[in-house]
Amino acid sequence: MIKEKKYFLLLIFSFGLLWGCKNKTTSEQPKKIAVIVSTLNNPWFVFLAEKASAQAKKLGYESKIFDSQNNTSLETDHFENAIASGFNAILFNPTDAEGSVANVMRAKAASVPVFCMDREVNTTDGATSQILSDSYSGCVALGKYFVEKMNKQGKYVELLGLVSDNNTWNRSKGFHSLVDHYPNLKMVAQQSADFDRNKAMEVLESILQANPDIDAVFCGNDAMAMGAYQALVAAGKADHVKVFGFDGAEDAVNAIKDGKIEATAMQFPQVMAETAARYADEYFKGKKDFPKKMPVAVELVTEKNVDDYIAYGKKEPDQQKK
Amino acid sequence: MQALAKSTPESNMKKYGSSLAKFQSLIALVILCLTISLLSDKFFTVDNAWNVMRQISVNICIATGMTLVVLTAGIDLSVGSVLALAGAITAGLLRNGIEIPAGNLYIGFTLLGAVVAGLLTGALLGAFNGWTITRFKVPPFVATLAVLTIARGFTMLWTKGFPISSLGENFAFLGTGWFLGIPLPVWISGIIVIAAVVVTNKTRFGRYVYAIGGNENAAKLSGININRIKIAVYTIAGGLAAIGGIIVTSRLDSAQPNAGITYELDAIAAVVIGGTSLSGGRGSIMGTVLGAIIIGVLNNGLVLLNVSPFWQQVVKGFVILLAVMIDKANSKND
Repeated sequence: MIKEKKYFLLLIFSFGLLWGCKNKTTSEQPKKIAVIVSTLNNPWFVFLAEKASAQAKKLGYESKIFDSQNNTSLETDHFENAIASGFNAILFNPTDAEGSVANVMRAKAASVPVFCMDREVNTTDGATSQILSDSYSGCVALGKYFVEKMNKQGKYVELLGLVSDNNTWNRSKGFHSLVDHYPNLKMVAQQSADFDRNKAMEVLESILQANPDIDAVFCGNDAMAMGAYQALVAAGKADHVKVFGFDGAEDAVNAIKDGKIEATAMQFPQVMAETAARYADEYFKGKKDFPKKMPVAVELVTEKNVDDYIAYGKKEPDQQKK
Repeated sequence: MQALAKSTPESNMKKYGSSLAKFQSLIALVILCLTISLLSDKFFTVDNAWNVMRQISVNICIATGMTLVVLTAGIDLSVGSVLALAGAITAGLLRNGIEIPAGNLYIGFTLLGAVVAGLLTGALLGAFNGWTITRFKVPPFVATLAVLTIARGFTMLWTKGFPISSLGENFAFLGTGWFLGIPLPVWISGIIVIAAVVVTNKTRFGRYVYAIGGNENAAKLSGININRIKIAVYTIAGGLAAIGGIIVTSRLDSAQPNAGITYELDAIAAVVIGGTSLSGGRGSIMGTVLGAIIIGVLNNGLVLLNVSPFWQQVVKGFVILLAVMIDKANSKND
């Protein structure tokens, strides 16, 4: 009996804890915007989600972030919960271009507008608007710079992201669409490092055993580029092997400044997040026609222009302190 | 009567069987190495050997703790998250210290202080695992699954989801330095392995660990304080995961909020390939080390041979399955 009482008290206590976590609701009940993001296990998406949520709050709405943990069925739960608990719009970063279609259609059926950020869903009439990062073109630009820096010849390694991720292949295809035209640029190894810094370091360490004479490494994101750089430092090859990344993460921007890695492709998560939140705001105010697809350019960052950039974006004119 | 049974043929068979099991993972390793070296002339080099040893050192740290846990018939799924949190705490304290705005207080941390704080974090989480498992009879699978999520959540809170980088050369030395021609992470994992072998084979604590896994009720009746041993085992597992976290963080010069995801599976795989029974009571640290080496050599070899990433997962899965199948066939013979 005593034991049961104890557990009961514990239960009450944990409900109290949940109550404490609940945000205070204001009396006038502002409209609510849900931010459903594919994962919060990667700083890039944390940044995207936080900026979207912050912009929604700035525009006077209540906002909550849902983390799908790269799991499309968890994403379905989030959509159902968001619709059921009366969210009026969804700023959405899909887990999967195909798998997320059903979720978007679910929201549409409940007449909740969906604004996609960064990643697209493969349907033209589901989302109200899709604000997308142009990974493919970004990697074409990166490939062009790669060819130039390599003087059209040499051996290189490609580190892919998660092989189950659309972005991995968009980036790889963009890069190869250009680089493969140069027969003297030889890819000696293509391996996956799951977008992970540690994995990239270990994989490159092993690759270096088989191919000690490589000239460059192209990585599908900046975390892998930094891991690859770390492996090159350990092997004493950091000076003559060129590293290329993608994303525009803080570490990579700093590394380009220090001349450690060659280049990255800057995406603009803040622009995408804020545009999505602004569109939702305009939607509430009566605007109904939005561009179905709004590509956001990806910019090449190299030693020449790195001073114009900060982590995940361009320096504002009034942002000179960084 | 039991004592008399010592030299019967059956018990000799048992002894023979268990030494054969050890033998088998060793044979598997030799075959694996021979195959890879036939296909790639870059495999059998001193450089690559250190490379593999350095890469598996983190898994060896974790898997050693996991072996102790599995020997008590438990499991620890939280080690990957504990590794991430310990690494993040160490990196955060080293780089930023603690600021308490209310008291206008700033506490800076030395290298040693930050490392100790990271280790304590790991040990504390491990002790928490042990406490819920023994005090509230939560099954180890569930208790440590919960801590997997909790520790990952705290890692996110502490790092705010962003990596903590640029930790200084002294700290980087822990993971990248060499001492007497051997990489430091290999020293660290080697010392841990030797200590664990001594503890499991030569101490009363080690015998109790086996006894609990063999037959918990019998162990309890013979007067062993089961709860205390179990809490100690989970605390050690947490502490070793924290050491792994500090090595990873130091090697990368950066604490990643998503570090260590699925590391628990690599550790469990090493333990199982090494012939330790998931139902407890049977197995050895050296077996686990062999298991970790097999996984490391496999990872390394598949990359050296530039096998497609899709196929790598298939191959790894089959090797684990094969190892356990051999082990099962073996234990049936006992």
